[in-house]
Amino acid sequence: MATEAPDPTEVPDPPAAPEAPAAPEPPGASEPRGATGAPGTTEAPGAVQAPGPGAGGTSGAGRAPGAGRSPHRAAAPGTATAPARAASARERAARAARRRRRSRPWLLLAPALLAVGGLLLWPLGRVVWMSFQDYGLREIVGGSTNYNGGANYAEILGQSYLWTTVLPNTVLFAAVCVALTVVLGTLVALLLLRLPPLWRTLTASTIMMAWAMPAVTGTYVWVWLFDPFGGAVVQGLGSLGLVDPAATNWFTGRLTFYAIATVNVVHHSFPFVAVTVFAGLLTIPRELHEAGVVDGANAWQRFWSITVPAIKPVFLVVVILSTIWDFKVFVQLYLMPGGNGANPAVLNLGVWSYVESFAQRQYGMGAAIAVLLTLLLLAITVVYIRALFAEGREKGESL
Amino acid sequence: MRTGLAARTGTGVATAALLAFTVLPGYWMVTSAFDPRANARGASPLPSGFTLDHFRFVLADGGFGRFLLNSALVGAGTIALAGALALLAAVAVARHTFRLRTTVLVMVLVVQMVPLEALVIPLFVQMRNLQMLNSLLGLTIVYLAFSLPFAIWMLRGFVAAVPREVEEAAYLDGCSWWRMFRSVLLPLTAPGLVATSVFSFIVAWNEFLFAFTFLQDEAKFTAAVGLHRFFGQHTNDWGAVMAGSTLITVPVLVFFVLVQRRLSTGLAAGAVKG
Repeated sequence: MATEAPDPTEVPDPPAAPEAPAAPEPPGASEPRGATGAPGTTEAPGAVQAPGPGAGGTSGAGRAPGAGRSPHRAAAPGTATAPARAASARERAARAARRRRRSRPWLLLAPALLAVGGLLLWPLGRVVWMSFQDYGLREIVGGSTNYNGGANYAEILGQSYLWTTVLPNTVLFAAVCVALTVVLGTLVALLLLRLPPLWRTLTASTIMMAWAMPAVTGTYVWVWLFDPFGGAVVQGLGSLGLVDPAATNWFTGRLTFYAIATVNVVHHSFPFVAVTVFAGLLTIPRELHEAGVVDGANAWQRFWSITVPAIKPVFLVVVILSTIWDFKVFVQLYLMPGGNGANPAVLNLGVWSYVESFAQRQYGMGAAIAVLLTLLLLAITVVYIRALFAEGREKGESL
Repeated sequence: MRTGLAARTGTGVATAALLAFTVLPGYWMVTSAFDPRANARGASPLPSGFTLDHFRFVLADGGFGRFLLNSALVGAGTIALAGALALLAAVAVARHTFRLRTTVLVMVLVVQMVPLEALVIPLFVQMRNLQMLNSLLGLTIVYLAFSLPFAIWMLRGFVAAVPREVEEAAYLDGCSWWRMFRSVLLPLTAPGLVATSVFSFIVAWNEFLFAFTFLQDEAKFTAAVGLHRFFGQHTNDWGAVMAGSTLITVPVLVFFVLVQRRLSTGLAAGAVKG
């Protein structure tokens, strides 16, 4: 938000152009603009044309209600006066048009900014404020404050439960999910590239449906598949003699619980990676691969020295988003047996925060945990964005 | 040719394995929902028969009709609000100030980054104070905020794709800005608006955490929360649970398939065109 610096005296016109290409835009990086080789050119017309709508705006201004200061009309009554007045009227009209042009984007943006500010930024501030209080039911009902300094943070950071259970659960689970999602997604993207068009469309549509499946229903299906009493997986393995169905409950063990959650999350999120990477793959000129073949590189070498460098920004974006998503997995864990706090060994940061708040009614504690999770995600995001910018600089500010 | 028989077989096997893994949960869900003896199914790949009893049960006794209607209401409200606000904002971002792009991007990132668990606590308190905890409207307003940044991001591409000359022509013909917006921009960005709306709808339809925290009265439950409640009451009636899951999933899939292609072009356009 702070990056835009809305200077009211500054009309957005060509001076903005040199800055524009530097604007951070990860999704942009994933798009073919890299392949056109001149991302700047896609930006420049916008900047150069900036006065364009201004001209349109001025011509429109004369007709707009309340904008009767159009040069022609202002000059009409005083035909005998010096052209100076006409000039000043024209100037005034131009100024009014410019003012309108400058304020219109903010008018258009105001409702959206208000909604985002009131429902995202303000609560974020509130959660930090609550995290420094012993905030329970009494404070909610009475609307009173009950500051206790950093006691919540001290209690959270001081207990071994965080360091031996919750943090490893959160970080390792996210790391494994991201790795598996990105690898599987990339393999699927490479597979899509080899398929004939009909099969490609069919496969892509099918995997996108896995993405669209609601997390709630998806989780219940996986719970049903792995259900210890009559679930398909346990029964199937039991009939093969691999496990004893009577003595198997994978939801109670921490590792097996997370293994099932990992399958669920990877199944749900690999389609996004596959489709995004596939879009990136399409932007790589075929000649590069042909040149690689001529030079005698095998498929593995071509992948690492042609494909990966060419779509590195796409990979970065995909990894950033996957990391962020997998760190805050909630539904897929909470809805599994024991995941709602009944089994403390399987909580991650998000679920812990929720359980502290809404099961224990320790809203201050829950808020503090949520703040820690947010800080963790913020740190990850910053690291990635820096990487993205470094990537952009390498390519001559092409981001 | 390098693509010999072995390579083709490999591709075929890989595709088959991928499709099997992808459709497995959906297939299992639907077949269990129609299976008269779903609980005793074990690992048998085919259901033991065909029945609509599970669907009848969840709709009549489980109250899923009400839940689905509530979800639809929340979803419709979300797309109406998000569509209007996002389109206006997208015009501002695409047409006016260049640096607003960064703002929107930061907003999209913030929304992606902030864990819902951090927002649910303060918003719960806020909505409680506003007496909107148990209201579908309160939920709609929250979903609006979540779907807005992404919707702006997508619509920006669609607005940018409308040639400026068309707008200028409207001005020359004497249109005010509002008239130009209604008669030029709105029709030309309508496809994008549809795609974005479907996306917002799916977000609202699938959301669990806020609905679960806010709604206490069973008559107000959305489908996801209703399924959770139902599962709590009928834990081992898997046929019925899968029938409820199917009822929730099918509308999403239908919508998604309808606009999938447009959604991805919109994403690309949002990123490229400026």
